[in-house]
Amino acid sequence: MAQQLAMIIDASKCIDCKGCMIACKVANNVPEDQWRNWIKGESGMSRPGKHNGTTKFQPGACMHCDKPTCVEACPTGATYKDEMTGEVVIDESLCIGCGNCIPACPYGARFRNATKRKADKCNYCPERRAQGLLPACVDTCPTKARVFGDINDPDSEAGRLFLKNKEQLTRVAARTETKPNMFYIGDPGPRDWGGEAVTPASMIAMKEAAPFIKGIVGLSGLGVLAMLGRQLIAGSDTDHKENDDV
Amino acid sequence: MSDTMYKRHDGSDIFMHWFNAVCWLLLLLTGIGLIQNPVIDPLGSGYPAVLRSLVGGGGNLLLLHEALGILWIIGFLVYLIINFKGARFFLAEVFAISPARDMLWMVKKMVLMTLGPKPLKMLGMDPVLPDQGYYNMGQKAFAQASVVGGVVIAVTGVVMFLSDRTFGAAATGMIGWAVTLHFITVGLVFAGLLVHIYMAAISPEERPGFKSMFTGVVPGEYAKHHHRLWFDKVQSDDQQVSE
Repeated sequence: MAQQLAMIIDASKCIDCKGCMIACKVANNVPEDQWRNWIKGESGMSRPGKHNGTTKFQPGACMHCDKPTCVEACPTGATYKDEMTGEVVIDESLCIGCGNCIPACPYGARFRNATKRKADKCNYCPERRAQGLLPACVDTCPTKARVFGDINDPDSEAGRLFLKNKEQLTRVAARTETKPNMFYIGDPGPRDWGGEAVTPASMIAMKEAAPFIKGIVGLSGLGVLAMLGRQLIAGSDTDHKENDDV
Repeated sequence: MSDTMYKRHDGSDIFMHWFNAVCWLLLLLTGIGLIQNPVIDPLGSGYPAVLRSLVGGGGNLLLLHEALGILWIIGFLVYLIINFKGARFFLAEVFAISPARDMLWMVKKMVLMTLGPKPLKMLGMDPVLPDQGYYNMGQKAFAQASVVGGVVIAVTGVVMFLSDRTFGAAATGMIGWAVTLHFITVGLVFAGLLVHIYMAAISPEERPGFKSMFTGVVPGEYAKHHHRLWFDKVQSDDQQVSE
């Protein structure tokens, strides 16, 4: 079976230290005011006094979905689902930063990198992995709330946690179902903040126009074939004199 | 008289025509390879993947397409500087339409080319085509599409080229529409291009016109039959000159 790289997160272990966010920013040289990952919390929970329920912080990032709406919004395949690893990859050499994929992510995991002017998001730190290291956020987490690995490999830590907790794994719901590969063990706190995947009007127009364009080119081709057929069957010399001699 | 050759194109016009043809072919081949979304991929095949692996990845294909596009635009700008008069003459001729005459020509020509003269005769119409000027209506229609389409393709292409070089995130709405317009316009112009290639290079009727795209001249007999209004004008101009 092909790999599916994923994160298994235990939100109850997260202490909201923001270490993962900083480590990611440093490792990936993410511009100021832009972030590849996040920790979401319940509002007002850190005030003194009585409050309802337990404290929960929810680490997150690109969820490398099984049904990535961002990929569907990309005209060139610059962002794609890697069949071998299950990652949603951005090919920066092919991306021109048209921005189609950004509103297409219901989790807001994508942004247009202010320096590179291209789509950007979590890529599980491929440079670090190539050196045998874990993604920066996972490596730096002091409480090991984030676990990264191949959930299809039962011998990996992520795969072991995935199998062991199968009954109580949850995902953050969005109004558009994308089958995200970010799993939370038990209660992840706020779990329905995901929005709707929005495809830009220009991309919808291109998708709608595509069959018409094919049709028009097809009609033109048929016209040429009809003319060629007449040229071959009827010949054109007689035709020519008849029509054009004045 | 029928041996006399009449000049139709300057050397720069001929060069531009073939320069444009080669650029368009290469831009089309590389451009289609850049579309890899099952909903819009025009061929719906593995073409983009094959082309990308040939040039060493999608990024290289994009660079190649961008370089060709810039070369094409620069070529046009140089042509406009060298032969501005020729370009102005071309545009004036191409966009000058006399609706009644030209529409009738277009309808009759389409019937004649596909079904022959019989349907026209059955409808009680004279299959003889109305006289045409420097360009016939078919040539004018495709030339108009090429000029307007070419400008749209070039402008949207430049917008996309600059997208990750100068534009900020606020410009992505415009860039998205540039992508869409580029795609639609190329499709429409390509539909016309198929007919242009057939009429000019495959149909034997226009053989002298095709040859003139290399030599620059057409025989008088061809000019008289295909571009009567232009032929008459040239004749009277020549007489005035010789007097």
